[in-house]
Amino acid sequence: MTFADHNLAEKAARGDVEAFAQLVRTHSGLVYRVAIRITGVEDAQDASQEVWIRVWRNIKRFRGDSTFSTWLYKITVNTCLSILRKERAREAREVSDELLQLPVLQGSEDDPETAALAGERRKELLRALGRVRAEHRAALVLRHMEGLSYAEVAQILDVPDGTAKGWVSRGRAALLVALSAEEDSR
Amino acid sequence: MIGSDRWDILERIGAYAASELSGAQAREVEQLILEDPEALRLAESYLRMLALLGAIGDESPEVPEAVIEYAIRRAYLSAFFRQAEDFFAGMGRAYLEAFVYYLGLRSPGSAGQGI
Repeated sequence: MTFADHNLAEKAARGDVEAFAQLVRTHSGLVYRVAIRITGVEDAQDASQEVWIRVWRNIKRFRGDSTFSTWLYKITVNTCLSILRKERAREAREVSDELLQLPVLQGSEDDPETAALAGERRKELLRALGRVRAEHRAALVLRHMEGLSYAEVAQILDVPDGTAKGWVSRGRAALLVALSAEEDSR
Repeated sequence: MIGSDRWDILERIGAYAASELSGAQAREVEQLILEDPEALRLAESYLRMLALLGAIGDESPEVPEAVIEYAIRRAYLSAFFRQAEDFFAGMGRAYLEAFVYYLGLRSPGSAGQGI
């Protein structure tokens, strides 16, 4: 898979559009999924299209030092963050220390997996995620939704490992507070 | 218990719930959870939230076909313009070389070696 990606990327760098099209078809799920979670559903399509334009434009710079998917994650996250920066009005209003009430989510005796599938909670979580500061949100998405290691998160976000850990940790706490606020407003 | 350093506690319990603490740090949070019902509720809340995040993370939203089509169409268009640019640049160079040769600025032997 990685080797195939590498080959396709090399061909695409030489101008082979069919090879690029194959990369798009294989990895469009990754790009769209991450874009939805960082920018929200409304902007995910535009963000994904912008990602692929950037990939095509910069494919010659892909040297294979990392896997193609890590490189793609990096472009996706950077594109999403730059879109969010442009829309500062919609930018996260991360919960500040002063108003922090310790959050408690409504309990459920259900198996967490079952509870996880409950539609309303799912929507609440995605809304709450939108209230977490953009960089922290990106770190949180990569770590807890994409299942990447801290080393990978750090590489994608281009920050030291410690910073990546800090962003995930802060994002996790901020999300819990935001989620609790969502539940309270129900 | 939970006062001025609330974020710190919140983050430590979060790290524990995510199984990212080990040794003394993990035992410290475990102790806190055992002693303080509020800390216990926080840990439970984190576990629910992380399960929810993981479950949503496992979902694969369907990619709109428009995204894929647009990306491929743009690449074809860009490749076409690149080729056209190369073609016209090559033609321009050839004309220029012919013109230089015509003016007698270069001897026949050096033709095709660029200007």
